[in-house]
Amino acid sequence: MILGDFGTSYSKILDLDPDLPETRPRIVATRELPDDFRVDLATGHNARRFGRAQVNELTALARGGETLIEQRDFLLLDCGSRDTKFVCYRDGKLADMGWNAECGASMGFTIELLERYYQLDCHTMPIPKRSFPVTCGVLGLSEIFDAVVSGLSEAEAVARLIRGIARNAYRFAGEPEKIFLSGGLCEHPVFVGSFPCPVVPLGRFVLLEGLRRVANQGRTSAPPRPPNRPPNKS
Amino acid sequence: MPIHNINNKPEPTDPGNYALLNGREPDWERIKDAGIVGVPPREVIARLNRQQATIHDLDEPLVRADSPAAELLPQVYCAILRTVAANALQLELDAIFIDTGAGKCDGARYTARILAETLTIPVIACDNRDTTPQGNPLCRSDLPLPEKMRRITAGVKIAGSSASEPAPCPPRAGFWGVPPRDFSMLELFPGQTHVYGWTRCLENKTPADHELESYFNPSVPTVFFAQNFCPKTALARFLAVRHPRALYLDADMQCGGSARAKIQAFFELSGVEL
Repeated sequence: MILGDFGTSYSKILDLDPDLPETRPRIVATRELPDDFRVDLATGHNARRFGRAQVNELTALARGGETLIEQRDFLLLDCGSRDTKFVCYRDGKLADMGWNAECGASMGFTIELLERYYQLDCHTMPIPKRSFPVTCGVLGLSEIFDAVVSGLSEAEAVARLIRGIARNAYRFAGEPEKIFLSGGLCEHPVFVGSFPCPVVPLGRFVLLEGLRRVANQGRTSAPPRPPNRPPNKS
Repeated sequence: MPIHNINNKPEPTDPGNYALLNGREPDWERIKDAGIVGVPPREVIARLNRQQATIHDLDEPLVRADSPAAELLPQVYCAILRTVAANALQLELDAIFIDTGAGKCDGARYTARILAETLTIPVIACDNRDTTPQGNPLCRSDLPLPEKMRRITAGVKIAGSSASEPAPCPPRAGFWGVPPRDFSMLELFPGQTHVYGWTRCLENKTPADHELESYFNPSVPTVFFAQNFCPKTALARFLAVRHPRALYLDADMQCGGSARAKIQAFFELSGVEL
């Protein structure tokens, strides 16, 4: 069975074939996948495009968290290219969740874009002490341009935007005491270091772990129930 | 424009509860097509029923959603009231009755004023103070949620109670809130979903019963829903925090992909089979 987490920018693919010598997931730019590429079970924004069966992203995130986090109370935040989502568990049960998918202008895609544009290496950028207020990605970009014009270094300006994005994500998640972080930004030291609380980076394969768990349970998310289906009497 | 209280009409009977917003008094006998917003008092609905007027519930999408008529209101505004504006300007109506009291919202009060300035037909602001409970058989029935909601909203056009009551069922899930602008979200709820919040007040024909509106069932996973930009988002969020298994949700004109995914994941992760 092949699993795939098809994000907006990157896809993570895992082949569960036990005969394969290599069982680590591979990362591919989504735009480089051929149109006829298909996996057995998929999640992510492009799941319908590439998956024969799909699992809701929030479900995959939650199941991944249940697998990887050995605690009954936790908050797991996934920061992707264009959105942020979180699940919060208390006493081993889902207590809260959220998905900010309406404006992803200031998430991973924006950070990657800026670092390429200014040719910056996130591993050499300092963690800033101040943030730009980021209520909108486009306005955030304007802040950077204005700051650079007024003499701030490009690296410092971009770092302040990244800090603002991290603080936004922190507030969106309900300002928790500790965050388990999922997604590509786990590997970004400025982003991870900008949260005002302890952060445990889990990497970018949390949703794949969730898919693996769902696959092992033999369950995929059912499509929305038709309106006239008789109610379940159980 | 001054508000003129109706105080010389045999019907409606409570002079303090009605106001003509544009000074045009309704010719009751000539009303064949009436628009209503929110839940006007039962006596208004009863009279319209008696003279067999066609009642158009302007809260529901009856004309094109992207109509320029909706631009009477800001784009960033309650989707229900934008729908009201689009309906009011495009339908051939003889009068509009708008509940602007505690059973509706400030937005309706301003919308009523704007419609009164714009339209040539009478626009009558009502304050529904009905307190006689009519019951909640539909909210607690085993009907699928979309059908349940359709029947409840259709009930606003009838002064009496429904003649036939569907069978009740124990709840497995809850929907708290107002009837959504986009009913398709209701298809994502499991069977045996009970209805709470203002929709329960709607069926009960007591739209200003804030105690009933605030009631929820802590034993079933419940989605607390409000339209974007609606003051009820505050109550929805407040109650969701107090409910042990709750999802707070808001949506605009359409229920988008993330809202749908949240509903689906919420029930799945709460252990409710769809």
